[in-house]
Amino acid sequence: MSEIIVVTSGKGGVGKTTTTANLGVGFAARGKKVVLIDTDTGLRNLDLLLGLENRIMYDLIDVTEGRVPYKKALVRHKRHESLYLLPTSQTKDKSAVNAQQINSLCSELAKDFDYVIIDCPAGIEQGFQTAISAADTAVVVTIPEISAVRDADKIIGELGRAEKDNIKLIVNRIRPDMVKKGDMLTMDDIDEILSIDCIGQIPDDELVVTSTNRGEPVITNPVSSAGKAYKNIVGRLCGENIPFMEIVPEGFFDKFKKIFKM
Amino acid sequence: MSEDVVFKGSRSGLQLIFDQTVDFTSILKQLKAKLESAIDFFGKGTIVNVAVDKITKEQEAELVILFQRYGLTLKAIDTSISKVNEFKFEEVDVEASKEITIIERTVRGGQEIISNGSVVILGNVNPGAKIIAGGNIDIKGTCRGLVHAGAFGDLTATIVADKMLAMQIRIADLIARAPDNLETVDTTECARIKDGIIVIETVNRQEVC
Repeated sequence: MSEIIVVTSGKGGVGKTTTTANLGVGFAARGKKVVLIDTDTGLRNLDLLLGLENRIMYDLIDVTEGRVPYKKALVRHKRHESLYLLPTSQTKDKSAVNAQQINSLCSELAKDFDYVIIDCPAGIEQGFQTAISAADTAVVVTIPEISAVRDADKIIGELGRAEKDNIKLIVNRIRPDMVKKGDMLTMDDIDEILSIDCIGQIPDDELVVTSTNRGEPVITNPVSSAGKAYKNIVGRLCGENIPFMEIVPEGFFDKFKKIFKM
Repeated sequence: MSEDVVFKGSRSGLQLIFDQTVDFTSILKQLKAKLESAIDFFGKGTIVNVAVDKITKEQEAELVILFQRYGLTLKAIDTSISKVNEFKFEEVDVEASKEITIIERTVRGGQEIISNGSVVILGNVNPGAKIIAGGNIDIKGTCRGLVHAGAFGDLTATIVADKMLAMQIRIADLIARAPDNLETVDTTECARIKDGIIVIETVNRQEVC
């Protein structure tokens, strides 16, 4: 059974593309056959994160307009044999592809792949509507900031209107030090507003930036805490029951207090 | 790009609103594209209002011709306050105002629930959401959005919420906004008009229902 997942957020810059790339590598590392579709036409980035920019021959628009079969446009990842990217055009805009075309493309891809992951553009306009049209599951990415949470709420409403009921939440870029001081929205605050199933809490990690720049998703880095969080998310999407890791570590004094029950 | 021209639905019907800072020929062009793409949406003979003080006579004539081509009627109206109020207190269908709309989900940002009668929400009302009711509003959850009860002028309308953290509370034509430092109260609260202002009091659910 193949699954079509759309990664969306409403607000830009919260980590949709990073999440898409990491989920793709994560599934592929588990031996699943995965295709990532970039639908952010005109502002494509997914190829950069995977380090595949120089291998692109054709793009999504060539496929949807019937110029080439999709197999010709797929770019295989250099490390992961079972991971493919369907890049989009950098010269066209969002109106170049419509929901119907994505639907028929995805149903074709679903025959060959275990997971089809769609990277959605920011916003709630045409590009978003197109990207979500084919999805079975929607993964909403947000960060612990009030504007990102508001936008996520709106997106969840829009997804509901499009009758996408399987919606999962990922909270990205959590800063443990700030949460501890009470300067950042906590998971409880976010949960109270969004009230949807959370499948991932990703700590803010500098390694994400360095790995993005190198075209190597952070999930392959064994020492990165964000990488570990992504691995757990992949496990949860595969149906495993993985406990959430502790993002706000207990300090020395907390432990001390606990021992002496202060 | 095409957001310079907007059709807005109001109690008095459809209203055409456009950005006056944009060149009028560009407005006409966008309007044409909009009508072209949504011609099925506007039924033949639909009346579209436009604020009379926003356009010149020549522009009005041009718009009338354009609208006629799509089977619509343009009406230039005076949208000053007195007129708006007139629409507001138009006869309310008494039967309709007894209706109760029940919403069994969370109302999220950007969503709007509008009812002539009363509204019961079994869920939260999130920030950015709007509930407008001719009668009362009862929220069995947390209210963080904008709520307007007695929207047609019923001064006795009430708003009840398990947790009242509303951005704005409106009853009839009175408006109260949340204080800038909102304290959370863990009991059910009810907003109503008392001596000409909106007051919020703790209530017992059993007494209200």
